Amino acid sequence: MGGGILSGLPYTWEEGLVILGLTLVLFVLAIAVSIFKRIGIAKEYTIALIRGSVQLFFTAGILYLLFEFEWWYYPIWLMLIAMILMGGYTSAKRASKMPGAYKVTTPSILIGGTIVLLILWITGAMPSEPQFIIPLSGMVFGNSMTICSLALNRLIREFETNRPSLETMLSLGATPKEAMEEFARMSVKAALIPNIDSLKTLGIIFIPGAMAGLLIAGTNPILAAEYQIIVFLMILCGGLITSLIAVYLARGMLFTKAYQIAEWI
Amino acid sequence: MNVFRVSGAKKRLGENRVLRGIDLDVRKGEVLSLVGPSGSGKSTFLRTLNRLIELDSGSILFKGASIIDMDPVGLRRNVVLVTQEAVMLPGTVKENILYGPELAGMKDGCDAGKCLIEAGLSADFSAKDASKLSGGEKKRVSLARALALRPEVLLLDEPTVGVDPKRVKRMERTILKAARSRGLTVVWVTHDIPQAMRVSDRIANLKKGKVVEVKNAGEFEWEGAY
Ligand SMILES: Nc1ncnc2c1ncn2[C@@H]1O[C@H](COP(=O)(O)OP(=O)(O)OP(=O)(O)O)[C@@H](O)[C@H]1O
Ligand SMILES: [Mg+2]
Repeated sequence: MGGGILSGLPYTWEEGLVILGLTLVLFVLAIAVSIFKRIGIAKEYTIALIRGSVQLFFTAGILYLLFEFEWWYYPIWLMLIAMILMGGYTSAKRASKMPGAYKVTTPSILIGGTIVLLILWITGAMPSEPQFIIPLSGMVFGNSMTICSLALNRLIREFETNRPSLETMLSLGATPKEAMEEFARMSVKAALIPNIDSLKTLGIIFIPGAMAGLLIAGTNPILAAEYQIIVFLMILCGGLITSLIAVYLARGMLFTKAYQIAEWI
Repeated sequence: MNVFRVSGAKKRLGENRVLRGIDLDVRKGEVLSLVGPSGSGKSTFLRTLNRLIELDSGSILFKGASIIDMDPVGLRRNVVLVTQEAVMLPGTVKENILYGPELAGMKDGCDAGKCLIEAGLSADFSAKDASKLSGGEKKRVSLARALALRPEVLLLDEPTVGVDPKRVKRMERTILKAARSRGLTVVWVTHDIPQAMRVSDRIANLKKGKVVEVKNAGEFEWEGAY
């Protein structure tokens, strides 16, 4: 493999390895400082880097094969399913207090992400090619996963701290839906804040992945910006839908059928 | 006739066997005081009566039917709990009082000021921010909030704690007056035995999650109570 088909990168992959080595030196230095300062993240950071790199190379290998493979649309289904299950699982771990949290996270991510990908596909923003499908679905499901975790975590925390209010409302004849309404709203809102912030700083501090990729590949910046906004908009919608579904589904876990607060809280 | 018939009610919370087989009848229209040491399960028991928590075993009949077969919202509008800690919902006193009636779709027939007066506060309290009230005022607002639902049964968990001594007796009288005029049945948890003897028809003594005796208020001997 040389410079590659898509890439505008001005070096071969062997040269790239040398550059990777050089950046690693800086990383090791930073880790050394953090050990010296007892920040206590050295181990986790290093493990995360190794894990992340292995995963990325693994995915890259699969992508490389897929891009060359005539029947790519069969394995791509598997990849999409794997993304959703992995997202559901990871997000559920973030809300591990809730028994069976994956029953909330997986469908939320599935529905929120799929709606958006379908729209991208129907409108033609996502051509039926693995080069588009894989990174876009990665971004969409990834963001949905993060937002799902944020929303659920916040909602659980609201329940823990506002138990007396919730019980007061139930005692005055509120249904679970009525009692949790305000907390659900706050959780969705809080979960979307990071997205809104990155939207605000779009192009200033933050040049997002898709645009960076297009620019590197030599796309006209205006076209790249336009595409980025389309993608961003859809990612945001995906997150919003995911979080709304998540708080809706969470209701069945937070309350019993007899409208009591669930015992695990 | 019995409003409640509780038999063999057991409830474990975490490691604690809090209710260990409660048997108790609550008669229609009576004021029944529930006394007993701290931690004996009084508050927990009240919370089983409006089904805020579920029994592990045993049964609770409300007007002859098991509460398990009832719509919890309907039950809670009929059997209103006034909790030990008066929890104010965000907003004004009036909004607090109208919260329940509004959900029940009977806001129009409800006069917040009248409920406040019945609970021993002046009607001017309506517009105040509920979170800024004193502890004793919150207690009375939560009583007014319960009355606004026009329940058949009031479950009162130490309703006069935190109210100054001069107002305690006045509050007792207002609760009794409201109860009598509306034909309410009241289950009244208190640590104050003289109060129990003043306000109630019967007194039940709860110890370690069991009702150890029920007596007419006049016959209650308070040495044995704790
Ligand atoms: N969620 C819970 N988990 C575990 N134990 C609990 C829980 N809630 C209450 N308990 C325990 O149950 C027991 C009974 O509590 P409860 O509040 O019913 O007592 P009480 O009779 O109302 O006491 P007090 O007179 O002090 O209000 C206490 O020992 C308490 O620690
Ligand atoms: Mg108590």
